[in-house]
Amino acid sequence: MNSVQYMTLIAWKNLFHDKVRLVVTLTGIVFALVLISVQFGMFLGFLDTSANIIAHNDADLWITAPGIPHVNGGSPILEKKRWQALQVQGVETVVGYSVFFLNWKLPNGAFETCQIVGFDLDAGLGAPWDVVEGDVSALRAEDTVFIDVLYKRKLGVEKIGDALELNGKRVRVAGFTKGIRSFTTAPYVFTSLKNSQTYIRMRPDETIFLLVKTTGDVVSAQKALREVVPGVEVFTKREMLDRTQAYWVFGTGAGTTTLMGAVLGLLVGIVVVAQTIYAATIDHLKEFGTLKAMGATNGMIYRVILTQAGLAAVMGYALGISIALVVVNATAETDLLIKLPPEIAAGVFGMTLAMCMSASLLSIRKATTIDPAMVFRG
Amino acid sequence: MIEARNVMKTYGSGDNVVHALRGVSLSINAGEVTALMGPSGSGKTTLISILGGILSATSGSVRIDGREIVGLAEGELPALRRDLFGFIFQGFNLFPALTAAENVSVMCQLKHVPEPKKRALELLRMVGLEDKARTHPSDLSGGQKQRVAIARALAGEPRILLADEPTAALDSVSGRTVLEILSGLAREKGRAVIIVTHDPRVLEYCDRIVHIADGRVESDSYRTVEEVA
Repeated sequence: MNSVQYMTLIAWKNLFHDKVRLVVTLTGIVFALVLISVQFGMFLGFLDTSANIIAHNDADLWITAPGIPHVNGGSPILEKKRWQALQVQGVETVVGYSVFFLNWKLPNGAFETCQIVGFDLDAGLGAPWDVVEGDVSALRAEDTVFIDVLYKRKLGVEKIGDALELNGKRVRVAGFTKGIRSFTTAPYVFTSLKNSQTYIRMRPDETIFLLVKTTGDVVSAQKALREVVPGVEVFTKREMLDRTQAYWVFGTGAGTTTLMGAVLGLLVGIVVVAQTIYAATIDHLKEFGTLKAMGATNGMIYRVILTQAGLAAVMGYALGISIALVVVNATAETDLLIKLPPEIAAGVFGMTLAMCMSASLLSIRKATTIDPAMVFRG
Repeated sequence: MIEARNVMKTYGSGDNVVHALRGVSLSINAGEVTALMGPSGSGKTTLISILGGILSATSGSVRIDGREIVGLAEGELPALRRDLFGFIFQGFNLFPALTAAENVSVMCQLKHVPEPKKRALELLRMVGLEDKARTHPSDLSGGQKQRVAIARALAGEPRILLADEPTAALDSVSGRTVLEILSGLAREKGRAVIIVTHDPRVLEYCDRIVHIADGRVESDSYRTVEEVA
């Protein structure tokens, strides 16, 4: 064992010697970590759920009525614009697509708001994904819909074949998806474009959106469509996604709130960890002074303090991320999505390490400015 | 071995200046036990800190085997302390999280002593504590703690031992054991032992007594052969 390893051993033993302090330190780190991970996971979940029907849609361009704020706030446009769009060079396919808030009548007579999503069954653009029961082709029947298993109870549905009422018309459940969450309290209900026109009570020559598949050059097609099709706006998939996420996640304050929670978690974490690591160093100040008197260099003292902070970070992270994963798993079957992908978990580890190391910098300064004569005091 | 000439140490500046040492001159020889005595605040701790390379003198000269240490760069001092000195403290200053053997090993590690664990056990055996190698300081008596501290101080094979009130926290039996070990190191191993003390029990183990008062050497006398006997 060399002196570096021995300093690491001292750090390890120092950390475990006072178990109460260790628990306090780890509690601070774990508390901060869980708060940061869950809040940031919720933020990522909000980004996902607010625009999932765009992210999972293969359309390159979206043609909409002017001034719509987000994908859930569309208003009808004439479907004849489809023919105008099809004449543009670089446009391969143009199909109608609907997203609209409607009332869903529960078996007990109460109403829930839902969002009907009507898509073109032949083109498949905007079709439901992660289907767990039923066949999407069943939506060719005139009163059929797919819903998500997470919203079964909310919509009063138990199984395929259950019949309820949507905007005053009969509706039958033909299948289920799993994990298609809505940012709002209104779940998505997938059906064919034709059915959606009936449920929304639009005229047959109207649609909410026109989805465009291009032959390759999306930007050129977008520019040409803006020139050729009057009275509409044309967005790329990215623009539609950003617009929708910006509205729901930041416009409503939900994203800012969760981000603020994550930042507060970080600040609380830094303060708690700084305080406990600083206090732990002060407790060992005489030992560091003794080490210096014995001939240890400042570098060796740094190593002990930083190793203590690093070990606390690793243990705190292991505990904190485990608890955060339990929370994430606990919400897997609910309508709240908390995302904790590996890259974020790795980022949180780096942040924990940085948090603990920066917290220990204060105590390093204290340890290296020890009055040397203190070692001679009783 | 150690030649201190006109060592001055002041703290603060202007109206707040404090003169801790006002021109101390002193020679310390190998194989001798020297007691530094004096009232609290007289400058004993400051002197031992300067002699041990822990504190820098404001002016004057401290030579160890002819090598000037006043004015050495901060980065050179750790190696100097490691190579020349062993420190023994009134409060023992053992690391509570480490066992007795590990406490001694720390110094072996700093000095890159081969087989540090084995060496630590040898030193504990020397101070009569081999059976306490795996014991933590909290489970040792005061005398045992001080003996572990002596073993630790010896781990680097220092030529000079600086002990600050080594018996102050010990009962008379433990105190005598510690003093016998320290005086034995001077007489049998030729080490220079400097003991800062208020404890009159220490005097009978010393070859020389230096009284410090108000930052100056007030008296410096060797004990007579009869006194030592």
